[in-house]
Amino acid sequence: MKRLLLLLLGTCSLLLSSCQHGELSYDTTPQSNLDALWTIIDQRYCFLSYKEQQLGFRWADLHAKYSAKLNSQMSRAQLFEILCQMVSELKDGHVNISTSLDLGRNWSWKEDYPENLDRELRQQYLGTDYHIGSGLKYTILPDNIAYVVYESFADAIGEGNLSDMLSYLRLCNGMILDIRGNSGGELTNAERLSRRFTNEQRLVGYICHKTGTGHDDFSEPQAEYITPSSNIRWQKPVILLVNRSCYSAANIFVRNMKEMPLVTVMGDQTGGGSGLPFSSELPIGWSVRFSASPSFDARMQHIEFGIEPDVYAGLDETLVLEGKDSMIEEARRLISGNSEAKALESPI
Amino acid sequence: MIYDLKLWFTPSQRGRGLILMLFVSVSLFAEKTEYEAVSDRSPAARSLLFGIGRTHQLDTYLSPMEYRGIQVSFLTQSERMTHLAKRHISFQSTFFGAYTHTDNPAGTADYQGGRLAYDAAWHYHYSPLLGLDLKGGALVGADLGFLYNSRNGNNPAQGRFSADLSLSAGAGYSFLVPLWHGRRIPMQAHYQADLPMIGLMFCPEFGESYYEISQRGVGHDIICAHPGNSLCLRQLLTMDVCFKRVTLRMGYLFDIRQSNARFIKYHDVSHSFMLGFVRHFQLMRVKN
Repeated sequence: MKRLLLLLLGTCSLLLSSCQHGELSYDTTPQSNLDALWTIIDQRYCFLSYKEQQLGFRWADLHAKYSAKLNSQMSRAQLFEILCQMVSELKDGHVNISTSLDLGRNWSWKEDYPENLDRELRQQYLGTDYHIGSGLKYTILPDNIAYVVYESFADAIGEGNLSDMLSYLRLCNGMILDIRGNSGGELTNAERLSRRFTNEQRLVGYICHKTGTGHDDFSEPQAEYITPSSNIRWQKPVILLVNRSCYSAANIFVRNMKEMPLVTVMGDQTGGGSGLPFSSELPIGWSVRFSASPSFDARMQHIEFGIEPDVYAGLDETLVLEGKDSMIEEARRLISGNSEAKALESPI
Repeated sequence: MIYDLKLWFTPSQRGRGLILMLFVSVSLFAEKTEYEAVSDRSPAARSLLFGIGRTHQLDTYLSPMEYRGIQVSFLTQSERMTHLAKRHISFQSTFFGAYTHTDNPAGTADYQGGRLAYDAAWHYHYSPLLGLDLKGGALVGADLGFLYNSRNGNNPAQGRFSADLSLSAGAGYSFLVPLWHGRRIPMQAHYQADLPMIGLMFCPEFGESYYEISQRGVGHDIICAHPGNSLCLRQLLTMDVCFKRVTLRMGYLFDIRQSNARFIKYHDVSHSFMLGFVRHFQLMRVKN
């Protein structure tokens, strides 16, 4: 009994001395905040080795480079700008500094390229009597082709929405699925929609995560599969229209759809963004977002900088003046040609 | 004279009256039941305490900053002597629940947390002096909780689960405090400390998202917990003041939960002032 009491007393004193404190304490000095941001990226950002290799910088060098730009008299806005410049070197849309002043970002993945999208024109194709199934807008074009627009994976779609939509479009010759301008959202929505386009389980990619603070401390990649939905599934050709603004969950959706046999991806390379973002914070109280878990395609290749389409296509400005979206028109032509060829092949 | 009850009482009053009459009838005509005490050594006690206090929380999965704020909690405890070891061993069960709300030092983000814990303890009692009761033993317990950050994106929350075997020791001292006119009021001070020694706990890997956990299950995120990676301690100091019909209990709860595993540091250190009451009773069994 006495020994037990002594053990407990000893442990109490040990606990009081060993109690952890926060890794960082409140601090508004520029150097402390730059150090904290540099360390968060150094230890937790999942593409550091890959970005160093692809973009030709050394993260270790950037600490000294940007520390030299700091001074103790600088304002919060100036500090914010320096910190944003440092993380902009990563060219990652998932890396942000969020403050009451502004949202620090690098959107070069879409801003440096043509958008290949005219939203007013797209609306003309939808018309005014199109259907809305949660985040999905759809109609049937005059040549009996389904036209579906999904603008954001942040807009939830339910199984009922998908079943009703596919049931309504079931007599169409094919589908144009237009996700141009879709910059991501919920991965579960991307997965739910993908499951309507396969009749068998398909390997679509891999995902892993960091297991330690080293740049290359990763878990074993875990295979990701898309299993067919038990509800109504699409069995006809699909043209998936993409552009540089397809990012994050939309990029993952394109990765999934590229493994589906009846799907052709058309447009420009996607924007990328294959790291699942996590949040942390700086001593000054600003929120930091960064990529934490990298996803790969089915061949274990990086898709952080985007996915190439099966058919490159851009928006023809001269046709825009005529009220036509050249990418939609090309997709219609491909589907119509496909269905005509099938009609010729089938026995009379 | 016959009175019409419909004129005197509302329907709901009549309903309640019928139930009361039924209860009185059953009580009057029921056979007189005899009871005997289960144990003659000590009565059982059950307490219910409510607490409020300060808490410090750190979870580097969510943020490297320590958040501070308030905790409101309840603790219900029951203890009774068993027949084991010549009635020197008691059984104690404790149920604890807490809600926390804490802010980061800059005041730009906050955590909301919840915790439920249950444990069952067996103590061997020893009385070296009159009024002094020392006890030592072990307890098994389980702890379930969460911490939610209102600002984070894909890592908005952290789940907590642990099940462990702990060492437990305590002491109680009963004494009388003199009041006016020779009256004395009985009081009892009690202290207990519980130290988890070995168990299991949930801990995701350093950069593992809950999306991945949902894909492949939590099996590989359950790890062994021991004082080397999870040094925790709960201490409860109470003072009972016995009045005629009720025993008031005041207490101080100092609870440290912490772990350092898979490069994720976590702690939740709380100090709470507890206030409640104790009910003493003697377990009886029906005499055959």
